[in-house]
Amino acid sequence: MLIYTLRRILIMIPILFMVSIVVFSLALAMPGDALSGQIDPTNADPEYIEERREELGLNDPIHVQYGSWAANILQWDFGRSFQHQMDVTQLIGTRLPNTILLSVMSLIITYILAFYMGKYAGRNPYTKGDYAVQGVNYLMLAIPSFVAALFAIFIFAFQLGWFPSTGSVGSGLEQGTMAYWGSKIYHTFLPALVLGMLTTASYTQFLRNDMVESAQKDYVRTARAKGTDENTIYNKHILRNSIIPIVTLFGFDIASIIGGAVIIETIFSYRGIGELLVASISNRDSAVVMAIFLMLSVATLIGNLLADLLYGIIDPRIRVG
Amino acid sequence: MEAAETNAAKVKMKKQSPWTIARRKLFSNKLAMISLAFLITVTVMAYAAPLLTGYDPSRVDIMSRGLPPGEGHILGTDSSGRDIWTLLLYGARTSLTIGFVCMFAIVIIATFVGSVSGYFGGWVDAVLMRFTDFIMNFPFLVFVIVLASIFRGAGIWALIIVLSALSWTGAARVVRSKVMSEKENEYVMAATSIGGTPFKVIRKHILPNVMTTIIVQATLLLAVMIVAETALSFLGFGVPQGTPSWGNMMTEARDPNVIRTQWWVWIPPGLAITFTILAINFIGEGFKDAFNPRSIR
Repeated sequence: MLIYTLRRILIMIPILFMVSIVVFSLALAMPGDALSGQIDPTNADPEYIEERREELGLNDPIHVQYGSWAANILQWDFGRSFQHQMDVTQLIGTRLPNTILLSVMSLIITYILAFYMGKYAGRNPYTKGDYAVQGVNYLMLAIPSFVAALFAIFIFAFQLGWFPSTGSVGSGLEQGTMAYWGSKIYHTFLPALVLGMLTTASYTQFLRNDMVESAQKDYVRTARAKGTDENTIYNKHILRNSIIPIVTLFGFDIASIIGGAVIIETIFSYRGIGELLVASISNRDSAVVMAIFLMLSVATLIGNLLADLLYGIIDPRIRVG
Repeated sequence: MEAAETNAAKVKMKKQSPWTIARRKLFSNKLAMISLAFLITVTVMAYAAPLLTGYDPSRVDIMSRGLPPGEGHILGTDSSGRDIWTLLLYGARTSLTIGFVCMFAIVIIATFVGSVSGYFGGWVDAVLMRFTDFIMNFPFLVFVIVLASIFRGAGIWALIIVLSALSWTGAARVVRSKVMSEKENEYVMAATSIGGTPFKVIRKHILPNVMTTIIVQATLLLAVMIVAETALSFLGFGVPQGTPSWGNMMTEARDPNVIRTQWWVWIPPGLAITFTILAINFIGEGFKDAFNPRSIR
């Protein structure tokens, strides 16, 4: 396992290098100055731009520019945000906790919903309840996240008034107090629910199908023959075996949550990374866009690595290949 | 006598080609058939839009802004006075066209990469698959948004190219694994031994057998592409603002006031997208089931 892990991590290094080249090329193609973010995007005076470009080394040969950019990144310097007049790292630092909270809550919601729905449908296959669960699944798979988010806001925030429709925290609360955190979770719940619902369907389906399949296996028949009661068979024998493969979905979830968060945060005006990305593109704040793009690419990469590693833990045959 | 009859029946059964069996299974699948009828209706309505509405989708009418559904405007008007029903029809045209064009582009790329990679194996496979993995490693939506912001203003074709260029990877992998298992069969060896060139073997012998997988993948991709287009347009990175599309129609709902008070602006396109995707998914399931020799229906 250790060798497998090391090998997987070593493969990451050339991939990371290539990712950085793609990001860098896109940065050069972005409008404005995406590498350092120190040229005012609203000032169109050619003399001003030329002067600043020369000063910031943007007229150097491309490989020199790449070298200094990569060196800065390795020192955790992503340039400055012109819009917010602060370092990009600092800016992202203020937003990242919100996105992490949103992701974690959405994952918890996914796990809880999928566990109960999948377990119920898997235990009672081909019954009305099972079909109802499957119907809900089909709907969740079909409805695009932004449509689901609009409906959620319309129903839960406006018609029922249970949750706030926008924002990530109430105003006038002191940071760090209980009320502050309570308000945060309260604001995060609805976006997290929408985000979580979207990944729930595949988990539920996976768990259900695996349980239905496992119920036919020999060890279940053996358990039944020994007189084990149905609850124990399902909760101990089948469920434990069926839950393990689900773990591997976790890595891929990171990628889907990243995509979902961009849309959901924008709709809910939730102050996280995704909302910052969309707003920065509109403001032509290219340095922020590039930093977020790089960060999310690396996060996806790590997610895929995690999925592979988890798979290796669960299925030893993978490690050999 | 009876035995002879069952034998005759067996012979008759044997004559059915896999495609005939699949078609029969698909036609007897009610849900898939209803979905197919729905999708065809939506498509026909989208392309026959001028016959179904008297309004011009791009005409701004200041006198009738934000009207609720009622006389003259069945589904009301948006904030610039455009008729929602008209936008819905013309929007369907844009969204479906982008979906179908992307689907075809992706199927062509994925089939090419997948079959070359699967058939030749070795270093060709290694290079192509590392490249595929590399593209897969990027967060799809974020990558599309960044690219779309670079090509902003380049129009619908830029969007189609960006979407297609980034989404063929999954399908290519599926085709590859299918071709890999298919090429082990004796008929492939026979075809090669009588002097069939690799591309002829792939085209005439392997691809027809991989076709079912490709069709199922294509159906799923159609749904994914429609969602991608509408989501991007909704965020403002998709179809240019003036062009009616289901996603563009919902852009107004980024304002909470519109969500609350002008439900007729965003609910119709929202439902249209959801039901279209639902129908496409059911058709995909129907195909999957019909092509699966083990399923009994």
